[in-house]
Amino acid sequence: MSRPSPLTTPVGRFADRLLARDLPHLEPRRRADTVVFIQARVDGLASFTRFGVVVISHVVDLLGRLVGASRALDIAVRVPLPLLSEYPRLVRSLGYTYVWETWPSTAVDGSTT
Amino acid sequence: MRTIVERHHDCDVLIIGSGAGGATTAATLAEAGHDVLIVEEGTWVPQGSVTPFSLEQMEQQYRSGGVTVALGLPSIAYTEGRCAGGGTEVNSGLYRRPPGYTLERWRANYGIVDFATDDIESICDEVERALSVQTVPGEQTPASDILSRGAGALGWQHDEIPRWMTYPESGRAADGRRQSMTETYLPRALAAGARILTEHRLDRLVMHRSKALRAELTSTTDGERPVTISFRDVIVCGGAIQTPAMLQRSGMRHRIGRTLAVHPTVKLAARFDGEVNTPSDVAVIQVKEFAPEISFGGSASHPGLVALALTDNWRDFGHAVTAWPELVIYYAAITSEGRGLVQSVPGMRDPIVTYRLTRRDRDLLGRGLARLALVMLEADAIEVYPSFRGAPVVRSRRDLAAMTSAFSANNASVMTVHLCSTAPMGEDLRRCATDSFGRVHGTANVYVNDASLLPDAPGVNPQASVMAIAIRNARRFADERSG
Repeated sequence: MSRPSPLTTPVGRFADRLLARDLPHLEPRRRADTVVFIQARVDGLASFTRFGVVVISHVVDLLGRLVGASRALDIAVRVPLPLLSEYPRLVRSLGYTYVWETWPSTAVDGSTT
Repeated sequence: MRTIVERHHDCDVLIIGSGAGGATTAATLAEAGHDVLIVEEGTWVPQGSVTPFSLEQMEQQYRSGGVTVALGLPSIAYTEGRCAGGGTEVNSGLYRRPPGYTLERWRANYGIVDFATDDIESICDEVERALSVQTVPGEQTPASDILSRGAGALGWQHDEIPRWMTYPESGRAADGRRQSMTETYLPRALAAGARILTEHRLDRLVMHRSKALRAELTSTTDGERPVTISFRDVIVCGGAIQTPAMLQRSGMRHRIGRTLAVHPTVKLAARFDGEVNTPSDVAVIQVKEFAPEISFGGSASHPGLVALALTDNWRDFGHAVTAWPELVIYYAAITSEGRGLVQSVPGMRDPIVTYRLTRRDRDLLGRGLARLALVMLEADAIEVYPSFRGAPVVRSRRDLAAMTSAFSANNASVMTVHLCSTAPMGEDLRRCATDSFGRVHGTANVYVNDASLLPDAPGVNPQASVMAIAIRNARRFADERSG
């Protein structure tokens, strides 16, 4: 069975961009695996939290269409708004945990050491 | 283990949940001759079959893969076990009896009757034998040595916390085997005739006036297959989040889910000169110089969790991630004056959980983190990485002032593993959801017997308190029903 593309959801797209920026040398295949993990964990969140994350992910996704994906990512990561700032924090936390748990020798830029 | 596939079941006593409260209740009642059926939402994962604190364990044994949060400013991440044995399968195994002053406070403030300290202590004796509670007979992990060294240099009180563990001949801390509920009280319950239905979730209890008539459940694996269970009595032991949610879904509201209490914690990662990380174990030393308000201890330090601890200031901390074998994560836990809410919402599978820290709580978290960093420096940490946004790297005492001034609880990664008090026990109807033995006020046959009953957070690891009170209540129940 083929694996669904991790980029078909707003959370997947956001996670992919965030990881590409934070860990630029992470191999694409590893990044894709990480995005799948993040999406699965978001899907498994408790109802209300998942609802909040999905709403924010759609807002950020929409913002990306208006101002460009890179600019939207900047805004989401840097603007210290309650709830909005929790979104990249959650995605980053899940992503980093997965990367270093799965490939513990990964360097800070995502490269394989 | 007997498995069950029918769509309808009958029993004398239905127990919802199989953790520290549910397993002890089941064993006590089954051994007293009651027909007991246990329902557990998660699966039965044999102890030792997954690596402790790993992603695999979080996937198999934690609710929502370990990603659960009490909303607030800041939000507080928490974890719940979701497997046979509940939280006892996944926690650090540290054991502390409830302090005498805590029992006295509960007795006096909540009107709990027949709650003598000696009786609770006597049950604790039994629990300690059943779980092989002991200190590490051999070599401790470097993470423990660090806490001892740092606290010792400061002249601060610290000691080893016993755990419910058995150890092989080597006696090494990292080789211990956790004596969780699937190793102890659940096998006892099953041997005495209890049955267990895993992978089933309680949707609600069907009530008629003050009496619960039957339970409606859903299979979590078999196409959401509905199941019903008829019973004489039901004892809800789903933990401090799920128990109030289940009761609320069944129409019970009085003082239920209104007073969630936790021990909020803040963390730091500390780097040392040499390998100190033991990923599958935690430190058994706790620093109690400022207890009960503030306690320090060690956290799980898998490489993924080390990376997580560094994310709050990745730009300045990230370089340390490749040195994870030289890093250990520690926490400062506080007793909180804040309270939280657990609120089930129609149409939503999970309850909304919120928690509000008080100003005093926020100050304590900051003070706790600063003192914990000092312990690390005294233990010769090279660098300390506090877990809050904008935190500086701490390399010397001079840096502590910068860290303290930069700290804000709103920016911190606050988390907790100790959740309790969402259905407090006692005769004071203004404050309590159940009577002194766990029967929900206003009901004839609905009981609670888990961490929800603790009137407030005990200031120590709560599992011993939960087990002792659950056994006390189950014995009372058995006496009443046999009489």
